[in-house]
Amino acid sequence: MGEFNLKPEPFLGGYERDFGSISIKELNQQAVVSFAIPNGGETKAKKTLEKLFGVSCPKVGESELSKDGSLRLMRLGPDQLFCLISDQPDTHAAYRDIDQKLSQDIYTTDQSDVWVCLEVSGPQTLKAMERICPIDLHPDHFKINSVAQTTMEHLGTIILRSAKNTYVLLSASSSANSFLHTLETSIKNIQ
Amino acid sequence: MTKQSHRIQGGLIDRGNPLDFRFNGNPMQGFKGDTLASALLANGQKLVGRSFKYHRPRGIFSAGPEEPNALVQLRSGAHQEPNTRATVAELFDGLTATSQNHRGSLEFDLMSIIDLAAPFLSNGFYYKTFMWPKAFWEKIYEPIIRRSAGLGRLSMEADPDIYDKGFLHCDLMIIGAGPAGLAAALAAGRSGTRVILADEDFVVGGRLNSESFMIDGIIGSYWAQQALAELQSMDNVRVMTRTTVYGAYDHSVFGALERCTDHQKTSRGKPRQVLWRIYSKRSLLTSGATERPIAFGNNDRPGIMLAGAVRSYANRFGVTPGKQVAVFTNNDDGWRTALDLVEKGVNVTAVIDTRSKTAPTAIAGAEIIMGEEIIDTAGRKGLRSLTLKSGKVIKADCLAVSGGWNPNVHLTCHQRGKPEWNSDVLAFVPGGTLPTGMKIAGAANGTLGLFSGMKSAVQEAQKIVQELGQKPVCYDIPSSEDEPQNGAAIWHVENSKKRAWVDLQNDVTVKDIQLSHQEGFRSVEHLKRYTTLGMGTDQGKTSNIAGLAIIAECSGKTIQEMGTTIFRPPYTPIPIGALAGRARGKDFRPYRLTPSHKWAVENRATFVETGNWLRAQWFAHPSEKSWRDSVDREVKMTRASVGICDVTTLGKIDIQGKDAAEFLNHIYTNAFLKLPIGKVRYGLMLREDGVAYDDGTTARLGENHFVMTTTTTNAVLVFRRLEFARQCLWPGLDVHMISITDAWAQFAVAGPNSRKLLSKIVDTRFDMSNEGFPFMSCGEVTICGGTPARLFRISFSGEMAYEIAVPAKYGNSMMGVLMKAGQEFDVIPYGTEALGVMRIEKGHAAGNELNGQTTALNLGLGGFVSKKKDFIGKTLSQRPELNRDDAIRLVGFKPVKSDQTLLAGSHFITKGQEANMDNDQGWMSSVAYSPTLGHSIGIGFIKKGHLRMGEIIRVVNPARGVEVEAEIVSPHFYDPEGGLQRG
Repeated sequence: MGEFNLKPEPFLGGYERDFGSISIKELNQQAVVSFAIPNGGETKAKKTLEKLFGVSCPKVGESELSKDGSLRLMRLGPDQLFCLISDQPDTHAAYRDIDQKLSQDIYTTDQSDVWVCLEVSGPQTLKAMERICPIDLHPDHFKINSVAQTTMEHLGTIILRSAKNTYVLLSASSSANSFLHTLETSIKNIQ
Repeated sequence: MTKQSHRIQGGLIDRGNPLDFRFNGNPMQGFKGDTLASALLANGQKLVGRSFKYHRPRGIFSAGPEEPNALVQLRSGAHQEPNTRATVAELFDGLTATSQNHRGSLEFDLMSIIDLAAPFLSNGFYYKTFMWPKAFWEKIYEPIIRRSAGLGRLSMEADPDIYDKGFLHCDLMIIGAGPAGLAAALAAGRSGTRVILADEDFVVGGRLNSESFMIDGIIGSYWAQQALAELQSMDNVRVMTRTTVYGAYDHSVFGALERCTDHQKTSRGKPRQVLWRIYSKRSLLTSGATERPIAFGNNDRPGIMLAGAVRSYANRFGVTPGKQVAVFTNNDDGWRTALDLVEKGVNVTAVIDTRSKTAPTAIAGAEIIMGEEIIDTAGRKGLRSLTLKSGKVIKADCLAVSGGWNPNVHLTCHQRGKPEWNSDVLAFVPGGTLPTGMKIAGAANGTLGLFSGMKSAVQEAQKIVQELGQKPVCYDIPSSEDEPQNGAAIWHVENSKKRAWVDLQNDVTVKDIQLSHQEGFRSVEHLKRYTTLGMGTDQGKTSNIAGLAIIAECSGKTIQEMGTTIFRPPYTPIPIGALAGRARGKDFRPYRLTPSHKWAVENRATFVETGNWLRAQWFAHPSEKSWRDSVDREVKMTRASVGICDVTTLGKIDIQGKDAAEFLNHIYTNAFLKLPIGKVRYGLMLREDGVAYDDGTTARLGENHFVMTTTTTNAVLVFRRLEFARQCLWPGLDVHMISITDAWAQFAVAGPNSRKLLSKIVDTRFDMSNEGFPFMSCGEVTICGGTPARLFRISFSGEMAYEIAVPAKYGNSMMGVLMKAGQEFDVIPYGTEALGVMRIEKGHAAGNELNGQTTALNLGLGGFVSKKKDFIGKTLSQRPELNRDDAIRLVGFKPVKSDQTLLAGSHFITKGQEANMDNDQGWMSSVAYSPTLGHSIGIGFIKKGHLRMGEIIRVVNPARGVEVEAEIVSPHFYDPEGGLQRG
């Protein structure tokens, strides 16, 4: 079987670029797992999440980061959360691990390869985001750890504010090139 | 280089920063802070263009966005932009402008001969003339008229500039940074409210820059700069100059165009303009007012201008439009022009006031004539003199005309708000339904005095702050005075024998309006469309009220009774490039790539767009001369051995929950409740009306876990439909879903050697035998030593086939591995064309068959419609009309002569019958050349098709003029028993 080896390839080849006041980095070792809370199972699910990850279940539109910073829960809807786990060379293994732990308390789906994850950071980031992001990212409105689903240049996007001037953007991996083009264009246009 | 012969003292221009520019090739000079119009006037250039219809000489008329005359072509080559208003074009070093709408030079326009034919060209002439011969209209008359009329011309080259779009948010959107807007912004900004203050001008202050008003003891323009400095120091306030708010839309959303580099010679690779969508909670319209003229004989000569504009050129730009200026007014405001000009040392020859009253003030050196009117003027390319009703002639090279002021109500109309007549200010003020959350203050609301306008703006701003739940900070209204107005309702000079122009841009005269009424076009809407009054780039900003007043006079009604047309977006013209934004070229819209795209590019794939996806259509071999060669080879080799196709684009939906099986049972027409784990089933969905919606396979991976596939183009629609069903139809079911289309790279491995190929890469602990993994099986496996994968034993080609899915990041590598593993079997990659050929050979329905008109019965899938359970579309699928005995059925067709080609879209006619709609029996939905059978084949719908096997019918394609005879056969051309796919 050693004759055939599969090699994972990041959707944007591990893209990383510094534009001066803004930088973009592809987070290509981030596992993304979707959690769906069974009907009537919210209390149980919350307890499970807290017990397993030490993270309380956030409200819709918010996220919670684990103490060691390796895992983040994003609440996208009443019955849906995304779990981001950083530094996972084998994202599927990370998914399997979580899936087994959660058993039937929460339905899980591996979403790691659905999304291209780009971290955009720097003092000019907000200005660049104005060109593509329809939601209000004012620091008082979209606070650190806020999360939202929106569209940018017709592409469905999940946006997370992970730090003062840092945003993590998740968009469909199949249109990763278009999404990157959108971001790069925005940055070039405001510089 | 011409001297700036009309430059006078003062102004807000930067005289230390001269700027060179060219008009019609002539070198000229202006200063930073000039507009093109002010610089042209400073250089004594009065004639700047020709009118739309009669090609009459025209000069600069206004100093703002309302300009009807001074439209020029700015820049050159591909950057050329026609119909640019010189009055708002900011001067920059190296600017080039040319006049437009003339044949020959601007001074000697050959087309001006049309003016002599004016008596025959009254409004609507084109509706009454050129009636015969009929054939001449399209090929002769219309082209001639089109060539004669019009304004600027496009370069016909691609626009090299770039544009962008963006989104902004605020609590309070203030539109207009004149005195009222600035005062409101200060009041709200100091209270901590998030404010956006936008103004189309490149400096803030509005009329303050054009007047000699004092505010808080300092000159108004200086007060405006102080206010700007304070606003710019506030984090919660964003001041946007060079930004026109052009539309008020639902939910307090505004459209705004920011001109980022229009004031520079080049954009240096940055967006020239940005189109903003601004979301606000409240808005305050402080857009000021526009002066209106009075119509009188020959009132269109270069040099005849709005009085406020003349004042603006003198006070803001240090330019006098004339050396001998006369003023014609029906209100006190016009007198201020005379006062300011005299203050600047300009010779004012006369002030003519229509009102019979005592002169409001003395004007040094000017003849004061009260109760008089102008009936004619002289001067072909520039005003020379005026003739009064009394016959008196006054010499003047510039006439400043003031007929009062119209509030700029445009944005208040964008949601059908209908302005109301206010007899106090003799103008329409905002009325009716205003855009959500909008308030109006200052001159825009008819409060024309400076102090009153600022006061109303501050009060409204403070109210808004309170409404937003914030605490307004005490803000003293700046001290200033209200200037007197005292206008008279005079719109045009009666009994002017000469043509009196109401709409300068469209050459509409008082007589035209009267004629319109006479001919029965009596409502304001009809008037507009018949005469073209208020159309064009200026949208009647200076002409509408006079037009309404004249038609009201004709009707014996008041203006109030007559009513008004309303305005729609955009307030001023928006370049198409700005509307397109960055969407152009390859990135016109997003595109999706399959996981093996890179491999496909490297292996000579030709791509086709399916939805947003780029899919490999075929893989050409260097020796192949046409696409058919490639496709035929791909089909033959797949059927002979094995082929691989990337089918990732099919929609994939992960469905989980205790009630997932029941949910699917409601969605599909066929049963899913008892689908065993590890099995796949074909499913058909109907619309609520019983028509087929989508199909695909669904695999059961666990007791509560399914994976549904959809057609590529319907992936999003099906997902949306499932969400609707889950949330709205059966909210009690425990079912959850998420798209995994992009998660898995999925490959069809088809052909008699497919199992052998896959057995080389699927880890050995999985049983790949026909017994261990039979047709319609599915399972989670590992490949290549542990990489997770999903394997499905399904076939679209009719061959023994599998679909194998790996996490998408392995997709490109997987294609290489499959090809390597298949080398010994002469494996080939195949594209969508071969895929299509094989599915037609097999008789599978696809998008052409599931076209929104066909039912399960039509498709031959009646057996998939359960009679035992309920599902979406069940009730209406039982309608008698959908179940007629003579319903169309999907069958196959083969040409009687095997060398003939069937065409998709052809209609079926019974032999011996005439080919017309009455005899139409159905249509051909899909065709292909079958390399397997060696002739053309097709599938399509024909009445009672299943009962007509062997019948020869006419296949008629009137659009292409082709007819062939074909035999009705089974749609399953290839392996009708299905033995091959079962292995």
